[in-house]
Amino acid sequence: MASRTSKTFLSLGRINIPLLGFNKSSGKVKYATALSINSSSGNKGLPDRGGRGSFVRRPRREAGEPRTGKMPVDQDWTAVYPAAAPFRPGSIPLPVRMGYPVKGGIPPEKKGNLELIKIPNFLHLTPAAIKKHCEALKPFCTEWPSALETDTKCDEHFPIKLESKEYVSAGPSLRNPSARIVHLRVKLSSLNLDDHARKKMIKLIGERYCKNTDVLTIKTDSCPLRQQNYDYAMYLLTVLYHESWKTEVWEAEKTVADMEDYSWEDSPSQKNILDVLLRMKVAGEGDGEEVRQQLLGRKDVQDYKDSVTRLKNEGESESSMLQYKEAVKKVFNM
Amino acid sequence: MASLMVRRRELFSLARILSGVSYLGPASLSVCSGHRKCNITRLHLPLTPSTSFHTTVLTSAAQSAITVTEEPDTLFQKLVVLVKGHDRAVLDSYEFFATMTAKELGISLGKVFEPPKDIERLTLLKSIHIFKKHRVQYEMRTHYRCIELHHITGCTAQVYLEYIQRNLPEGVAMEVTKTAMEKVPDHILEPMWKEIPTDDKPSQ
Repeated sequence: MASRTSKTFLSLGRINIPLLGFNKSSGKVKYATALSINSSSGNKGLPDRGGRGSFVRRPRREAGEPRTGKMPVDQDWTAVYPAAAPFRPGSIPLPVRMGYPVKGGIPPEKKGNLELIKIPNFLHLTPAAIKKHCEALKPFCTEWPSALETDTKCDEHFPIKLESKEYVSAGPSLRNPSARIVHLRVKLSSLNLDDHARKKMIKLIGERYCKNTDVLTIKTDSCPLRQQNYDYAMYLLTVLYHESWKTEVWEAEKTVADMEDYSWEDSPSQKNILDVLLRMKVAGEGDGEEVRQQLLGRKDVQDYKDSVTRLKNEGESESSMLQYKEAVKKVFNM
Repeated sequence: MASLMVRRRELFSLARILSGVSYLGPASLSVCSGHRKCNITRLHLPLTPSTSFHTTVLTSAAQSAITVTEEPDTLFQKLVVLVKGHDRAVLDSYEFFATMTAKELGISLGKVFEPPKDIERLTLLKSIHIFKKHRVQYEMRTHYRCIELHHITGCTAQVYLEYIQRNLPEGVAMEVTKTAMEKVPDHILEPMWKEIPTDDKPSQ
């Protein structure tokens, strides 16, 4: 119907009528679909009308009905769009509209619509296509071992975690230099370390150790390839482990300031409490070693020792201060 | 004619999916079961176009040679796929595609969420010369989508990531964070100076 109206316009002798103007007069603004037919018949019509016949173009055959009219409802869509392809309005039987609408109108239709061509479409990835692809890819997949269902079991059997990143983006180069970085995380409790080795290891790794989670993190980025960084990280772990088991000669000079934890034995707190107790009650017994040992063996002195150790190691908190208060009260029999 | 060409392209791309290296020459598909590594070398598909060539050609190829290698497979505790793009609708569709693929391949999905978008704004001079008071402002919006997968083997991860990455739309970037797990290596199980407790010279 629209094509017929445009052909009647040709007979009136005007080719390039803005169809918008024509449609406005009909009261409802719409975009006509016959723009291409109009221009193509215009080309044919020009030599005929002019009568000069300077050159006769080869007659161009009419574009038939687009494929959308002949598509059955139960067709195989994966055959229409098997791979990523731009939007073809003649192949998609949907009345899609996209674009900013004219004032008082609707968005433009799909024929000749650049917005629909510009945006990436997922027509080749319909659920049916995804299912087909996954069926084809299934033989190459492996199952997760059933014995490692929970995270705790994974941590128990595979304590070393290696983290690396991969980047996919378009640009002048496909490579991303940040892809070489490797993070190695391991819990020190899963390594075979004794007390001295553990303390020495913590001193050696310093900043890379997280006290709350007991995790050592080694980040390597000094080599250009990820495989090299992984090898270097494993080498560092091996060296740290073996070095921490060694006992050097100069380690015997470890002072109180180097100690990681507070220990109450031979500390000013022990001396003070013993002096106070000796002066307080057992003034007549003398100041012998066995008296000190006897005092140390008492339960309230042991409670005092626990509370002071807890205060120094864990820091000050409500419960630790209360515990200290109770212990002091017990020692002085208040 | 065009449909034939389209199908051949799809054949090549699907072959690339399956081969990963090249699609020319004779084939041997090796597939692992259980804990062993998948070794995909090459694939040769007969170039006979048909409407459902996905199924017909591949069943014949899959039955041809599937071998199992003894190399141990890597185990990934977590795989985080972060996609970035300028268009939220495109990322929505991609998220649907990625999650459906994970479900079809039997991969356990973790969280699928949308981190907040970043907007980078610039204020530039509108004119090439003078007119300092007249500026123009641009902004670039980057939307994100994050998909977490748990407990995935190396073979499955390779297949899934290659499929996902080949179908990444234009204008979308991806960042994959892999967390692999490993046993404690043999040389760290016991200290090497157990026989000699105090050693001054470290030996390799």
